[in-house]
Amino acid sequence: MAEPVLKISGVAKSYGANQVLKDINLEVGAQEIVGLLGPNGCGKSTLLNLSSGFARADAGSIIFGGHDITAWGVERIAQAGLVRTFQLPSMPHRMTVAEVLRAADSRGVQFKTMFAPDRSSMQEVDALLEGLSLSHVRNLPAGSLSGGQKKLLSIALALRTNPKLICLDEPTAGVHPNLRHSMVQLLRRVSERGIALLIVEHDMHFIRELCSRCVVLDRGEVIANCVPASLTSNERVVEAYLGSARDKGAIA
Amino acid sequence: MFQFVVDVALRACDLMLIAVGMSAVYSLMKFPNIALAQYAAMGAFLAIVLQRAGLPLVPSSIVAVLIVGVVAVLLNRVLFERMLAIGSSTAMIGSLAVSMVISAIFLVIIGPSPARFNLEITRPLRVLGARITEHQVLSLGITAAAISVFAILLFKTDLGRCMRATATNNLLADATGIDTRKTKTAVVAISACLAALGGIIITMKGEVNIQTGLDLLLPVFSAAILGGLGNPLGAVGGAIVIAMAETLITNVNFGPILGQDLVFLPAAYATAGSFVILVLTLLWRPRGLFISEVKRV
Amino acid sequence: MFDFLIHVLIMCCLYSMLALSLNLQVGFGGLMNFGQIALFGCGAYGAALAYKYDLGFASGILIAVGLSAFVSWAFAGIGRNLQSDYWGIATLALAEVVRIIVTNEGWLTGGAQGISGIKPLLPELSGRSQQLGNLAICGAVLLVALLACMRLTRSRYGLGLKLMREEPQLAQSVGYDIMSLKRGCMIFSGFIAAAAGFIFAHYITFVGPDQMFSSETFLIWAMIVIGGLGNHFGAVFGAFLLQFIFAFIPFVKDMLGLPTEFVAAMRLVLIGGGLIGFILWRRTGLFPEKVGGRADG
Repeated sequence: MAEPVLKISGVAKSYGANQVLKDINLEVGAQEIVGLLGPNGCGKSTLLNLSSGFARADAGSIIFGGHDITAWGVERIAQAGLVRTFQLPSMPHRMTVAEVLRAADSRGVQFKTMFAPDRSSMQEVDALLEGLSLSHVRNLPAGSLSGGQKKLLSIALALRTNPKLICLDEPTAGVHPNLRHSMVQLLRRVSERGIALLIVEHDMHFIRELCSRCVVLDRGEVIANCVPASLTSNERVVEAYLGSARDKGAIA
Repeated sequence: MFQFVVDVALRACDLMLIAVGMSAVYSLMKFPNIALAQYAAMGAFLAIVLQRAGLPLVPSSIVAVLIVGVVAVLLNRVLFERMLAIGSSTAMIGSLAVSMVISAIFLVIIGPSPARFNLEITRPLRVLGARITEHQVLSLGITAAAISVFAILLFKTDLGRCMRATATNNLLADATGIDTRKTKTAVVAISACLAALGGIIITMKGEVNIQTGLDLLLPVFSAAILGGLGNPLGAVGGAIVIAMAETLITNVNFGPILGQDLVFLPAAYATAGSFVILVLTLLWRPRGLFISEVKRV
Repeated sequence: MFDFLIHVLIMCCLYSMLALSLNLQVGFGGLMNFGQIALFGCGAYGAALAYKYDLGFASGILIAVGLSAFVSWAFAGIGRNLQSDYWGIATLALAEVVRIIVTNEGWLTGGAQGISGIKPLLPELSGRSQQLGNLAICGAVLLVALLACMRLTRSRYGLGLKLMREEPQLAQSVGYDIMSLKRGCMIFSGFIAAAAGFIFAHYITFVGPDQMFSSETFLIWAMIVIGGLGNHFGAVFGAFLLQFIFAFIPFVKDMLGLPTEFVAAMRLVLIGGGLIGFILWRRTGLFPEKVGGRADG
């Protein structure tokens, strides 16, 4: 099998006395769409933060595209091709949607080339907006978009960076069901372009439609790593989400 | 040697009350209020004016302190609350603007020359080899008393509990039934009164002029930030550390190092020193020296 | 009267450069710099030191550039983990430290007396033609600075700055090194401020620490808030507007027979009142930022 694009080995993370992640081993292949699931508090977001550089792992290693990115900063990881979206995307109010997309291409922006003009292909930006059905908001302030539109915009931003892997943090949370379908289509097209996806999600329909594989976390550990279809028959997964029979008995 | 302790204590007193006020009001309002330094000058000017009008020193001071408290509450209601709704940085710039307008008012009403209290001149006392005037002793006493009263207020009264709760988590305090608006108003008034008292004490030992507010600003910030903005009693420690640093900087004889007899740093370097401490604190320990609940810096 | 007007216009050009520089930092970089006057001082003292040690005009430029790059880099460096209001306090403190050092290290800087006798910009000319020549030079440099600023904010670097100022985490997550962006913004705008200082030194032919009071920084802040944050023309307009008003306050004072304090008080009221008024009622300033940049989006 080809080298995985992302390889997380033995990663652990504690916040004070609270050990959020215990011993995580996870791989994402070059063109895979992997779902990351688990009940609230299981450590999904923390894992995403560790992979994208927003937090540092206490132990273990994260290898991305052959580099050990465990101690890398956010921008370095993004430049290497791993970008993430945020659960509650916050967009600038003093920039239009088109401007934000133009700004998303950060390659080569540095002090030495300070005055280099913006040569963004307006076609590329417009094509992206078209594909997301966001053309009509192109000149509106990005901060004035609806929550669902902002989520689509953040995926577009990620695409502009020419990534190898996009980590999505609950892309359908708070999004209108109609938009969800467009998002599935969009992400399928993204995957066809050769970009790997790691998606933290709760929506099982979304996961079933999109992901080739699922990793389930519970209380900081990986309890399942399988195709979406076999999730419901996995006892540990059911227990994690619904609680064990013993707990049910205690309530009665 | 004891003179050193006295000098440090006096300088610390200069800063302490205003720094505690600054820290207290920051912990609830969440922005550094630059106008507080002007409240100190305002208290002194008002007290002098009242004394000249015939009121004895103590009542003048009390009335002046109360008036400043009222003014602060009004300014807060009319200006700062609205600015804070826009953002904390905006409120800080607004407080700078307010402090400039207050300066202008001082300039027009009182003029550019310094003003003093009408005090009887007394012989300095000699305590353990150090010279100290009666008024300086009085200022130490008043400062200590005011800080103690404030500490009791903060930790033993209901209002203090509300203050600490609102400072820690405004939303939660609101939800548990605390009238956060009233609490904030109370803190604004109390911190302004502390600042005004601080200004009066400084002036008792010397004079006040239109520059006093601006001159106090950065040293007070240094003391408050060193103690941890949002940790009012930490500002006491901060003021002492700043006072020690300032006194040391100007009292240490660098002569032996430079091969000369007597080399002292100029007095202005005392304040420069406290500014450097401020920057270093912000660089390495922005939450202040003491453990506090200051979260964001 | 005509000569006075030319002088006012020259000062307007120089202040415009300072305003453009600060506007880049505040309006585009989200950097609340309260130490702007220190960057001006780097330029002014660069010229002065080159004169004092007989190093020539070009060396003056080199020293000015070097000093301002150092101070800008230092300012940006302390901003690593600091929220904007704290960073503003730190820059204010650092600028004051610089001023105090300059005032006291007379062996280098001439101390409180400063350095005088600096060669004028156009020594071959004299009288009115020299003044007009000075104005032409200032106007030309201002134009270059304005064009450079406009070019910068439309460039890819400018887009990165704009993204960073509101959403630093988002900017990081698409690969921007925000420390590097901030540093670049500070250094470039620092050059503009230093250029203003350099020209000023050769125009007034005198440089002194009294030109570096923090009140100057506050004035420039008022210019950009009133003119319009994030709009280069706004910054220039704000500078011209306030400078013109200030230039004519003494005439108003004479006309109405008011005391000398009126001038200083009026300045403070205009700056402070202007800031408060615009913050509360027209936060975008007279010339709001054009969201979206050029017409083609």
